[in-house]
Amino acid sequence: MVKRVLKRDGRRVDFNNQKIVAAILKAMDVTENGEDIVLAAQIAHAISQLDKEEMTVEEIQDVVENHLMNSPRQEVAKEYIRYRNKRNIARKAKSNEIFETIIQAQANDITRENANMNADTPAGMMMKFASEATKSYVDECLLSDPVREAVAGNYIHIHDKDYYPTKSLTCIQHPLDIILEHGLRAGHGESRPAKRIETASVLACISMETVQNEMHGGQAIPAFDFYLAPYVRKTYEEEVDKVSEIANVDYSELKKAKIDDYLKHDLVGLQGKERAQQHAINQTVGRVHQAMEAFVHNMNTIHSRGGNQVVFSSINYGTDTSAEGRCIIREILNTTYEGVGNGSTAIFPIQIWKKKRGVSYLPEDPNYDLYKFACKVSARRFFPNFLNLDATYNQDPEWKADDPKRYIHEVATMGCRTRVYDNRFGPKTSIGRGNLSFTTINIVKLAIECMGISDKEQRIGKFFERLDWALEISARQLDERFQFQKTALKKQFPLLMNGLWLGSGKLDPDDTIESVINQGTLAIGFIGLAECLIALIGKHHGESEEAQELGLRIVAFMRDKINGFSEKYQHNYSCFATPAEGLAGKFTKRDKKTFGVLPGITDKDYYTNSSHVPVYYHCTPEHKAAIEGPYHQYEGAGHIFYVEIDGDATHNPEAIMRIVDLMDKYNIGYGSVNHNRNRCLDCGYENAEKDLTECPHCHGHHIDTLQRITGYLVGTTDRWNAGKLAELKDRVVHK
Amino acid sequence: MADGPGFRTAIYCAGCRHACKGCHNPQSWSFEAGRWMDVEDLLEVIKADDLSDVTFSGGDPFYQVEAFTELARRIKAETRKTIWCWTGFTLEEIQASEELSQMLPYLDVLVDGPFILEQRDTDLLFRGSPNQRIIYLHGKPPEDIIPGTVALEPLR
Repeated sequence: MVKRVLKRDGRRVDFNNQKIVAAILKAMDVTENGEDIVLAAQIAHAISQLDKEEMTVEEIQDVVENHLMNSPRQEVAKEYIRYRNKRNIARKAKSNEIFETIIQAQANDITRENANMNADTPAGMMMKFASEATKSYVDECLLSDPVREAVAGNYIHIHDKDYYPTKSLTCIQHPLDIILEHGLRAGHGESRPAKRIETASVLACISMETVQNEMHGGQAIPAFDFYLAPYVRKTYEEEVDKVSEIANVDYSELKKAKIDDYLKHDLVGLQGKERAQQHAINQTVGRVHQAMEAFVHNMNTIHSRGGNQVVFSSINYGTDTSAEGRCIIREILNTTYEGVGNGSTAIFPIQIWKKKRGVSYLPEDPNYDLYKFACKVSARRFFPNFLNLDATYNQDPEWKADDPKRYIHEVATMGCRTRVYDNRFGPKTSIGRGNLSFTTINIVKLAIECMGISDKEQRIGKFFERLDWALEISARQLDERFQFQKTALKKQFPLLMNGLWLGSGKLDPDDTIESVINQGTLAIGFIGLAECLIALIGKHHGESEEAQELGLRIVAFMRDKINGFSEKYQHNYSCFATPAEGLAGKFTKRDKKTFGVLPGITDKDYYTNSSHVPVYYHCTPEHKAAIEGPYHQYEGAGHIFYVEIDGDATHNPEAIMRIVDLMDKYNIGYGSVNHNRNRCLDCGYENAEKDLTECPHCHGHHIDTLQRITGYLVGTTDRWNAGKLAELKDRVVHK
Repeated sequence: MADGPGFRTAIYCAGCRHACKGCHNPQSWSFEAGRWMDVEDLLEVIKADDLSDVTFSGGDPFYQVEAFTELARRIKAETRKTIWCWTGFTLEEIQASEELSQMLPYLDVLVDGPFILEQRDTDLLFRGSPNQRIIYLHGKPPEDIIPGTVALEPLR
């Protein structure tokens, strides 16, 4: 007796005679002799009596075909087979359609999901095919029923779902000292520990490039200055040896000399030991500069992941006050200001200035000079962004000014905003840790569904009830994915789990990563707080104090609930201000279809980024800071504050400094300044005019306009998806 | 961003008779435009913003020289903010007039001269045409050179 049927999507349903009868009758309908209900029922009955507990759909169809072939109605068999093929083709057609848009290199939201990826190259296409194919596998085979329904209902979005089957983790802050001090083994090569700045900088590239292939998110270096500083010294010592050799004088005592600052000076007038030392310093500065140039160049040209995208790389620096650390900071900034190749702005790495009172911010601080320069560089090149180590939630009492490894206690961020710092299962640090996976809640839809309730308090109450449900389901989904990820073996991540990930060094190749991945975080994000508030009370938080109060209540509620999940499931859960590049339009498109165009809510092609004030809303930078600042304390998994400024930022680097002052004043964790920058690809002329199409100098038309998208820069908007493009068009200047 | 370095509380006054061709703000030519504000009220707005310096623009502030002088005097006496002032008069014209020049002691920077559309140049720092000048009235601040850093693209 057949009791169950295994469907194509993996689900099991009760066996039902009538379905077989219906399918046979359909085939009979199109033949000359028409229906024979007795025969159809006989065949269905015969199948039900087979000596099997469970059959697949395909097996049942095979048996039906055989019965029909052996019946007097062979012409029905022909129709049945034809019908079956047609259905199979239709089932495949949808994915075939998607494949065809990929083949034709069409610009649509499937191929433009990620602006850093070139889905038109062969490797990019290959990856898109795989990505589209795995997504349905995940839906059908890896998600639990309630989760699948929440995704299908447009309530939650599982980020990097295409990578779900690979068990990969999202991102990591590289403990680069391990690579530099012990060397690395990647692919077919092995490298020895670094001895000079050139090798150190190349190893930093290789480390990020290799691990990028073992993860689905970005790669960052948390303390670029501290890690590379020792190799500035080694380079200097090498230069001292060279001078000794050429001059045939033993200057080896210079190797011990304390150097206040690595600054180039003319040798004119210098003699003997002084001349030798200054020469060694000059050579060192030149080599460090070249090494930084090579680093930036490599990070923009070396492709990973099958060759379709450069590494999503970020570097944090600014707090190393040693002469060597300052040399690294100065030269990476010099390089960045000058640009790559013929002076173009480098898209990667995202650079992040660690702003800390007493170190790298106030006029009396040892790195104030470099901070000022960083602001000038940012005015021209968009980077560095600014990370506020003084924000209350970014501090650690373990940090001591005289601790040479104090960077361990300094928060670092991924350029996109992902932040990992607090830790229930080990040391509080950003280093050697990262996010495991993200899921984002469509809080706008939850709010829209409550709009029918006329009483305000009841409406808001109902919303919190729904939010509670969505949080529960997200936490459950992240735990389910965690339970799947933890079954991966160490050897699946040859470099990442060979000591880079916190605690992974002690694992054997065939061990699972279960014992170490709890160092990572599970993030529950949200998108469209502004639209959510408009749906609930008619105004967003930028324009109404009541809305701001409710907005803070919502995000605080999420944070508290999420802390509870950490207890319940025993993971590091955290609350995330989702950047949602691919998501900006996806939720909105579906909701617009369901609910129609609701003014202020679904009347655009995107939802506002996380807890941001809408991009179309006119206000001063200070108002924006005052509104958005208080949310950052709740968004432990990452947040970013943007200010859009008009005019040529290079004319006003002081404005960048004032925006950092706003971050300091309003306890903002991470932020950056958006502005316009055009570059003529023919003559190199730059300005900040809006919508520039012709170069005012050489009258060329090859204008490259830089923009920022969810923390990353993109040179052209060709690779932006529809939702993000609509958002870009609506952005207004804050003044 | 174009109102001077850093963040600035910009006071745009109504009334200007220079009538420069291509003016970016011609609606401010009329002395009937805008609304009346007391020095005291302006001062309150200026003081409330602790990160911003002050800009006088318009219109031309020198057509209301007494009130702006009073405002400028109070700002310098009661805050540490700098004041940049844009005018269609040249410095020489202002200096030649006893009435107009009463404001000069309280201003840090004067950006002077009419805008000349035929000479329009959008690359200029805080100005529209090259005849206009950025004049530090009490000595230029020391040039900000950061040792070891590359030369910045020079501003014009």
